[in-house]
Amino acid sequence: MPERATYWGEASRVRLRLWRRAFAEFSYALWQRPIVLMGGILVLAFLLAALLAGQITSHNPMRGSLLLRFEPPAWQAGGKWAYPLGTDDQGRDLLTRIIFGTRVSLAVGVLTVGISVVVGTVLGAAAGYYRGWLDELVSRFADLLLAFPFLIFAIGVMAFLGPGFPNLVMALAFKGWVEFFRLARGEMLAERAKEYVFAARVAGQGHAAIIASEILPNIIQSVFVLGTLRLGYMIIMEASLSFIGLGIQPPTPAWGSMVASGRDYMLRAWWVATFPGLAILLLVMAINVFGEGLRDILDPRLKIE
Amino acid sequence: MRAVKILERVLCTLPIMLGVAIIVFFFIRLTPGDPVDIMMGRGGAVSAAEIEQLRHQFHLDEPLHVQLWYFLRDAGRGNLGYSYIRNKPVVELLAERLPATIELTLGSLLVSLLIATPIGIISAVRQNSLLDRLSMAGAFLGISMPGFWLGIILILFFAVHLQWLPAQSRLSYGLQLQELTGMHVLDSLLTGNLPALTDSLKHLLLPSITLGAGVAAIVARVLRSSMLEVLRSDYIKLARSKGATEWRVVIRHALRNALIPTVTVVGLQFGVLLGGNMIVEAVFSWPGLGRLVVDAIFNRDFPLIQGAVMIYAITFVLVNLVVDVLYTYLNPQITL
Amino acid sequence: MNRARILSIVLITLLTLHGLLFAAFPAGAGAPAAVGRDTLVVAISRAPASLDPADHRTRESETVIRNIYDGLVTRDTRSGVHLELAESLKWLDDKTLEFTVRKGVKFHDGTPLKADDVVFTFERTIKTNAIEYPKPHTSPRRGLIEPLTAIEKKDDYTVLMHFKSPWPPAMQMIVHHQIVSKAYVDKVGTKGLAEKPMGAGPFKFLSAKTGLEEVALERFDEYYGGAPDLKPVGKACVPRAVFRVIPENSTRVAALLAGEVDIITEVPAELLDTLKKAPNVQVMTVPGTRPIWMEMNVRQAPFNDAKVRQALNYAVDKDLIVQKVYDGRAQPLAGPLMPTNAFADPALKPYPYDKGRALALLKEAGWTPAPRGMLAKDGNPLAFAIDTIDTTRSLAEALATLYRDIGIDASVRIWEYNVVRPKLLAGERQAYVGDWGDSAFDPVGHMEAKWHSSKDATYGRANFSGYSNTRVDQLIASGEREVDLAKRRAIYNEAQKLIYDEAPAVFLVLPMSIEAASARVQNWNPASDSRVNLHDVCLK
Repeated sequence: MPERATYWGEASRVRLRLWRRAFAEFSYALWQRPIVLMGGILVLAFLLAALLAGQITSHNPMRGSLLLRFEPPAWQAGGKWAYPLGTDDQGRDLLTRIIFGTRVSLAVGVLTVGISVVVGTVLGAAAGYYRGWLDELVSRFADLLLAFPFLIFAIGVMAFLGPGFPNLVMALAFKGWVEFFRLARGEMLAERAKEYVFAARVAGQGHAAIIASEILPNIIQSVFVLGTLRLGYMIIMEASLSFIGLGIQPPTPAWGSMVASGRDYMLRAWWVATFPGLAILLLVMAINVFGEGLRDILDPRLKIE
Repeated sequence: MRAVKILERVLCTLPIMLGVAIIVFFFIRLTPGDPVDIMMGRGGAVSAAEIEQLRHQFHLDEPLHVQLWYFLRDAGRGNLGYSYIRNKPVVELLAERLPATIELTLGSLLVSLLIATPIGIISAVRQNSLLDRLSMAGAFLGISMPGFWLGIILILFFAVHLQWLPAQSRLSYGLQLQELTGMHVLDSLLTGNLPALTDSLKHLLLPSITLGAGVAAIVARVLRSSMLEVLRSDYIKLARSKGATEWRVVIRHALRNALIPTVTVVGLQFGVLLGGNMIVEAVFSWPGLGRLVVDAIFNRDFPLIQGAVMIYAITFVLVNLVVDVLYTYLNPQITL
Repeated sequence: MNRARILSIVLITLLTLHGLLFAAFPAGAGAPAAVGRDTLVVAISRAPASLDPADHRTRESETVIRNIYDGLVTRDTRSGVHLELAESLKWLDDKTLEFTVRKGVKFHDGTPLKADDVVFTFERTIKTNAIEYPKPHTSPRRGLIEPLTAIEKKDDYTVLMHFKSPWPPAMQMIVHHQIVSKAYVDKVGTKGLAEKPMGAGPFKFLSAKTGLEEVALERFDEYYGGAPDLKPVGKACVPRAVFRVIPENSTRVAALLAGEVDIITEVPAELLDTLKKAPNVQVMTVPGTRPIWMEMNVRQAPFNDAKVRQALNYAVDKDLIVQKVYDGRAQPLAGPLMPTNAFADPALKPYPYDKGRALALLKEAGWTPAPRGMLAKDGNPLAFAIDTIDTTRSLAEALATLYRDIGIDASVRIWEYNVVRPKLLAGERQAYVGDWGDSAFDPVGHMEAKWHSSKDATYGRANFSGYSNTRVDQLIASGEREVDLAKRRAIYNEAQKLIYDEAPAVFLVLPMSIEAASARVQNWNPASDSRVNLHDVCLK
């Protein structure tokens, strides 16, 4: 018994040291890639904006004055600096709505990817490790889901569940987990044949413990990288669903529905649809650049299709 | 041997099709919203007898498993039912719209390949140069832009502001075009109709760019990374040491091998494009399948939804099969 | 490898070729789509469902159909119903109507139009399963002419219509049925009629693309002239016309601005100013036919108290909404009928904007201001969700803002119509902002759907408030049968006053219908019922 405790304690200390060194290397690699760093900083900025939205804005994002409809951006003729990016069709300040909209976009993206990652990875790891009927069943189901085009599937599910934030997340995650399932399963198939797994089995560890403490940490890396790349994609999907009218309900600001409701006014008040679209572009690009950079740093050999 | 395996794969798709059909069938019927009600519209007078009769005609008054039986039986005979809203057989509606969607998908693929191939090659050959960095930045831009936003901006700029390109539809009125395949560009080429060719290409350009931007970005990056890998390999060094010109090395040897993973990605993107074109079709009023399906979903037009989803599923699965087969030809080490 | 090279060569050649052609036709010259000097292109927002006059339910279908087919009577939204294919009409008694058909009218294939065709047209509409394509079914237009039991030919140019009861809106409703040729349908069948329409209207059918996304028409030179009362009489002015479907609002407007189309319909009010500023564009507005209300669920709190409902009427500044949400392009509603309806009571005035009165009424009902300014009763705040669909989103949001101003916690929720409708009918929602079409300008088709308390397919099928008043039910039923004009008016006036006082809905606005055309379009007058009548329109 005491040997075991020492063994684990020693292992943890070694692990901590390894992690510290990994972190230092990571930071240095990041410093060497200024664009990736910028991407990361931008993502952080959006995150802060989402968290501190109430503190940094002075207008109400949900309520506007009908007398202030379609005010142009501050630098155009007739614009006011109180409304830097102009106002929308209900007289609400566009900049405030964009900042508050960050919450929705990030929340949808993170939650959807989060759920997809958890469900997909767990199922994939289990399927890849245990094989047998579980693997067959879930793989067939995944193939079936893959046959549906993403948007049509999402529309169908939204029509079924009704609009709203939780339903949106569910609709997107319902198809999103498949990718992570495949990735985790593929990695698991590769890893389970390796020596350290054999060693752990010999040492007497149970299956679940092996998966959790030995194999998963090796898989997590690629899952994490795919996750960051998918984050941007999910944000665009949310925007697309809102564009069709099945996304977030007004007056809650969400970039997709802001572009959708603004597109009718493009010829008169171009800013209402353009700036939210730019916000989507910037956030997704920052996430993608940072995610790619991460992949580059963590494992340049990794190829995600 | 390979033919047998291909046949095996094709047969495997049948249970998937059945699964898709059944899932969609139940799914849409459990979705709130009564199709007969929707048919009645929001205004005007209606008779109770008519509603009853419609329900009976569409078998909507029967239990679900009976309806499923009718559907499967008819589908087996090639009859996908009649659209509730558009008074026409579903097969006819789908056949009308499919060429437009395929033309848009192919157009987008072509545009994206035309953009991505030179960029991918040059970025790999001149790695880390300004050009490389710029094109990679452009690639990030491509995949980060929502399609609907890009489409609207393009229309505003090129159609309204500059008036260079049309804002909607596929062909200007007044141009006579004999339709052979339903794809205007192809038909004008086949019938030697020059004005129709220019016109249909002009109409195809903006939607293709909108849809193809994302794909171009992905293909460029995949091509670049596989080119980079190939360029480092041993036999390239061998080719160089034999004295072949750089150009020859790149195009003849490297590209050929780099194309393998690229082809896979392009094939997969075909499926993505097919599924993602409904938004572009809506923005550009392109009369294709995507718009038809979205309308059908909102109108609870059950037969049309079922038919369209099955078409998408079949196409997707078949494209994947073709890609897999192609892969085995390109890389003899991989078997089906 | 050789394959790849060949492929790239082919691609490059195609591209160069296109580039050369592009250069040959310099940008901007003649505009991207050189619309012929003699073709009028109309952009509509939805495709017609069918071109068979007896087999559709939508205004878009009817719009295109009425350029190809004419009916016994027609309607000009400013002056009412006029004779078209009918030369004269006479009510023989309360339930029998005699039409004399005009002589010398030809169908597009040259055959003369006679009583046989009229009888055939109406019989295929009212008989069960008379439409054989795609599967035998009853005409969806039957409900519009429900009281017609039989029609018979008296002689070659006279027909007799028999109704099961007196039917005051008969004329307004017969407008919506157009005459087809019996010989033609006998020859080509219903499928042939749907694929190649052939009527007696001012335009002949030329071709249709991709279903009905684009319908091309050609002038019928032997047109009999049209309704003699409605000038100009004679054949159509333009030689060719095309109906094109462009669902996106901004794309439709962009197409007009780019010169690709000549007339567009359904312009959103917000784009009115942009169009007015554009050179070469003319804009016209007409009163619409889709009045909008906010119906409140009268079966549960807080709307089961009439005072609360009236207060909500007083709390809405309709003029502000008209100005700000519709850019001035709307009229406030006085009561349940739109002002242009033939039986709207002119004595009823819209609820005025009176915040004080609203608050007083609410106080009487027990709702008083609580600590943060919001109204509450017994500790419960006055809060409700305003449900609506996407097209009336702005209006609902404006309403919510106005209500929050006086202390009501109102929020907005957008639904798909098909999903929210059953919930409304089941009484599960609180307030719904929606419109209901009234294109017959007669209370029938409208009042019994909205304000009658029955719950069947015809009566009360759109009664989202759950309003139930026995006297109103009686009035609605008798109004449908009363032939004497003065008595009918009295009946509907009483019904309107009752509904006005009990206020099951907040009576909001009647938006205007906005259409726009390029400067080279002349003699074009949009109609209130969204019909695009191309007979009079000319191109410069």
